[in-house]
Amino acid sequence: MHIAVLAKVVPDYEVPARDFELAGNRAHSRYTRMIGLYDENAVETGIQLKEKYGAKLSIVSYGHGDDVPILRKAIAMGGDTLHLVLGDSDDPYVIAANLEMALEQIKDVDLVLAGQQSADQDRGIVHGILSEMLGYTFLAQISRIEFDQDRWTVHQNHENGSRVLQFSRKAVLSITSSHENVPRIPVVRAIMAAKKKPVEKLQGIDAAPMKAEEIKVEIPKLESICEFLPLDDLQQTAKILLARLREERYL
Amino acid sequence: MRVPYWNVDYGFLIDVLAVPVFAIFFSGLYSHYRKIRKGKEQLKLGWGKANVKKGPVFLKEVFTKSILGTRIYRKFYTGLAHGLVFSGMAILTLGTILVFANVTIKLPVFRGAFNHWFMSFGLDLAGISALAGLLFFFLRRLFPPDRLVTPKERTGFFPMIGLLALIIITGFLLESLRIRASGPEPASFVGNFVAGFIPANGPILSYHRYVWWFHGFIALGFIAYIPFSPMVHMVLAPVNTALADPRPGPKMGVIDFSSFDDEEGEDMPPMGVAKLGDFSRKRLLDFDTCLWCGRCHEVCPAAQTQRPLSPKMVVATLAEFLAANRFTDEPVDVIGIDAIFNCTTCAACMEACPISINQPKAIMQIRQNLVMERSELPELMSKAYNSLEQRRHPFFGTGAGPKDWQKGLDIPIFAPGKTEYLLWVGCAATYDERAQKIARAMVKILSAATVSFGILAKPRCTGDPAKQMGNEFLFTEIARENIEEFDSLGIKKLITLCPHCFNSFTRHYPELGGHYEVIPHSVLISDLIAANRLALNKSSESFCFHDPCYLARRNHIEQPPRRALEAMGTLIEMPRTKRESFCCGGGGGNYWSESSGIRINQVRAREALDTSSSLIATACPFCLLMLTDGVKKFTEDKKVFDIAELVEARLKLG
Amino acid sequence: MKTLIIEKIEPKIIGELVTVGRILGETPDLLAIGQGEIPGTFNRAFQCRETIAANLVDSLAELIQKNAYQVILLSATTLGSEIAGRLGARLKAPVLSEVIEVKPDMTVKRPVYGGKAVAEYKIPEGHVILTIRRKYFEPALLEGTSAAEALTIENPSITLLSEDQIQTQGVRLEDAEIIVSGGRGMGDSGNFEILREMAGLLNAAVGASRGAVDEGWVPQTMQVGQTGNIVAPAVYFAVGISGASQHLAGIANAKCVVAVNKDEEANIFKRARFGIVSDYRNFIPVLIRALREEQ
Repeated sequence: MHIAVLAKVVPDYEVPARDFELAGNRAHSRYTRMIGLYDENAVETGIQLKEKYGAKLSIVSYGHGDDVPILRKAIAMGGDTLHLVLGDSDDPYVIAANLEMALEQIKDVDLVLAGQQSADQDRGIVHGILSEMLGYTFLAQISRIEFDQDRWTVHQNHENGSRVLQFSRKAVLSITSSHENVPRIPVVRAIMAAKKKPVEKLQGIDAAPMKAEEIKVEIPKLESICEFLPLDDLQQTAKILLARLREERYL
Repeated sequence: MRVPYWNVDYGFLIDVLAVPVFAIFFSGLYSHYRKIRKGKEQLKLGWGKANVKKGPVFLKEVFTKSILGTRIYRKFYTGLAHGLVFSGMAILTLGTILVFANVTIKLPVFRGAFNHWFMSFGLDLAGISALAGLLFFFLRRLFPPDRLVTPKERTGFFPMIGLLALIIITGFLLESLRIRASGPEPASFVGNFVAGFIPANGPILSYHRYVWWFHGFIALGFIAYIPFSPMVHMVLAPVNTALADPRPGPKMGVIDFSSFDDEEGEDMPPMGVAKLGDFSRKRLLDFDTCLWCGRCHEVCPAAQTQRPLSPKMVVATLAEFLAANRFTDEPVDVIGIDAIFNCTTCAACMEACPISINQPKAIMQIRQNLVMERSELPELMSKAYNSLEQRRHPFFGTGAGPKDWQKGLDIPIFAPGKTEYLLWVGCAATYDERAQKIARAMVKILSAATVSFGILAKPRCTGDPAKQMGNEFLFTEIARENIEEFDSLGIKKLITLCPHCFNSFTRHYPELGGHYEVIPHSVLISDLIAANRLALNKSSESFCFHDPCYLARRNHIEQPPRRALEAMGTLIEMPRTKRESFCCGGGGGNYWSESSGIRINQVRAREALDTSSSLIATACPFCLLMLTDGVKKFTEDKKVFDIAELVEARLKLG
Repeated sequence: MKTLIIEKIEPKIIGELVTVGRILGETPDLLAIGQGEIPGTFNRAFQCRETIAANLVDSLAELIQKNAYQVILLSATTLGSEIAGRLGARLKAPVLSEVIEVKPDMTVKRPVYGGKAVAEYKIPEGHVILTIRRKYFEPALLEGTSAAEALTIENPSITLLSEDQIQTQGVRLEDAEIIVSGGRGMGDSGNFEILREMAGLLNAAVGASRGAVDEGWVPQTMQVGQTGNIVAPAVYFAVGISGASQHLAGIANAKCVVAVNKDEEANIFKRARFGIVSDYRNFIPVLIRALREEQ
């Protein structure tokens, strides 16, 4: 079994809104970079499969050479190899084409896992496009994966609940967060070992970008003035709150 | 004149018997020694710089804490009882040795004033004192205070108390029988008194002979039994205290990770402690020496709020492992992971320990192993740790940007060669909105006092939270980055707002090659006031001061913040103060811990509020945050402030 | 613009997509997924009983090409995200996901960086696939029903083993006019009971932040936020929720946020209309009593 996990290095997704600024329509470069929120869930899911079924785990990324030290975390967590396609596009088609190229080179990947969406562009479509390029099937919002006699059984979350699906083909799965795939903290020995692991850097390829022009990116103004209710007597506070909510016709 | 071995035939046999007895005694001690030798060698030999040290031994401590047992007297009655038994028995033993010397080398001890005042009066007094002490200990064990029995009690004390008492009582009986038979000895007040109750017409000489042998046998038996009973503390405790580094705090040191870097493989040393055998010899000696007196349990903020941790439980468990030779077993399985993470590293346990055991270091070494080798840490701590690793600050989910605290202030950036002090802001004052006010106040104070200072262009963290959470690796990484930055900027003097930063800079950075002059903000403020560079409005307000553990207990900085407060109003002390301060609950990474049950910060907040002072002052951002939260349970008023905030608000302008 | 909606038979969601379709041109056609009557009157409607989106893509692409649909409208749900990327690649069409604003001049906006910024795009001629974020468009009223042409699926590669519909007691989150949400500050799963009690009195739905879901206190279906349910209630009670930007993105369209948090510095107060700085354990029981008194 060979599993590939796609991980993208993104600017700190926890930067508070007040401190957020753009430079050239993208997050300012001063923010710390890290592996995306859901991508870490995907890495964790991959490691659990590796531990359970003895799979080989390849970490595949597309981005800058500078991101290597950050991506090593995925190796320290339990990934076996790291492949980075060098490139700086954030077009989903270009990214998918480059990832496809890398996966074709790595060969024999049975299952591709990716976080449900990157933590910068928040698109959640690259993995779908990639699956189509690879000719794999694709399932979104997967929270649990099991394997038994050539068959994958997966749990999919959706708005009204969840379902259990089964398939035997190669697939790309988008992974959502659950309490079962909280990213582990790598142990120190693994961090040190990960620093020595070779990284395969692949030259990016050109591909046709999406035909949709980005006109601009703006930071929305969030203006809200909070009225703090008096706390001397909580009973009174509750009454004031209900009265105010009615007054302003919210209730 | 007294005749040794009077009325006893073949009395010298007792001296002959002493030979095997001492053989047993020393072989018993040797078995302790052999166990302790199984620990890792970590004793640093040679003369220390700060303390007078010969080999691994701290000379001053040999006389104070070790021989005199000065720390025992912090509990007056127990201390007194211990002192009576110890000095009583010491004098009686000396008496016995003198008798022996009289027999062997004819030392004239039974003559004149020496016989009168020492051999007669002195020894009787010593016996009575020791008996009084033993009675206290007997009652104490019969009706034990909580600290002795929670969570468990060390056994084996009753036989020792009984045996000692029996030796003294038979000694007195012997003396009385001799007096009854051969006439009063002027200064032997006990002997003369008891002799009065002995009927004149019995076989006194026979009784005397029996009691003499009995007394001799039990005394020798006692000596042989010492290494196999808690009485071995007579030997171990002085050794343990003499070997304990007298500097305050657990002295965690830094781990040299370069040894891990060479080869992957089996021979890599463990990070922290997993098995009992991973501890240093000094730690094993700690465990072996511990009497389970529970003075640490009594002061531990975790134990006192019903958390799973008790330092006594930890050391007692480790002692049991040691007694059972379980060197390859993992004590954390018994101690529990929760307990290991409950430790706030406040070091109150060490401070209370009469025999200088380093409990926090043992706890932290187990924690290091859990974090670095097993990646097991509570969820909130792991979030803080993750953030520290990724963002270089532990305040995950903060709503503040790195420059928010500077809004509206024109703060100079440290300029190499021009600026004197680096104002080290630290993580809390940068990323927590409440703590930001400390940094803002300090900037205004420094400007008012025209101190030459600057900040770093990009905020940094000392790495101390990583160290406290047990990740020495991340700490070292961050510390090295900082040292590199400081070196490139030529920074030599630092002002810290946070005692944890101060502690790391002064204790751990030098070991990594970073030598700086570091001054905590409370000390600098106090100095500036003393030098009349800050003029303050004094009022009738009263302040109580919560001593941050990392200032008072761990670095013995107690007076400067108090002087600053006294320049503004009246100082009121809390019951637990200075080196005996009670932790706010936020240390050891426990600022990021799930709070359930009795909360440490609320206990401390209650104690502070009970002083009825107008305001509660502290000098640590974490203490500030914990107490601010703790006070909320009892009052809506804003009561808790950092010393810098208080001073800044009371600056005389112009 | 010839537009096709692909959506489950859920009138509210279809209604939202119809609204979007109308902004871009005339009323779109519908491909309804699942069983049941087709709500609303459509020029042309298709129906497919297969509900596993991954099995649909081949037939969908064929249908779209045959009928020359230009704009494909999906909701930004599991179904939509499962179809959008693959369909886009198949049709070589741009895919814009999580759209929150659509203008007749063929520009759309979508949030990026966890909602901290908004990007605007110009849709070109030719195929385009949009997934629309829930609760940003007023659903069009769907009257009557339509007859549907059946769309059949060949060789499905994925089998459905079981379906677990979580019964959210009472009102559904996304339909709710009032939502009572709990966060990590709730402390444990049992404490959500008090929120359920309060919700019962207000005819409200109960939600949760990602923190509470990650703790395993409540099922993921209750999650409100960028990656959970996007909601737009009149009143949103945030109890013990700190207000991470991902959470705020999910309540961007809530009209009035009431925050109950003992940490006065909590980010949620920056979004809230009314703030109560108190431990919810003290305040919520009092509020419940006040609500009972009123009834």
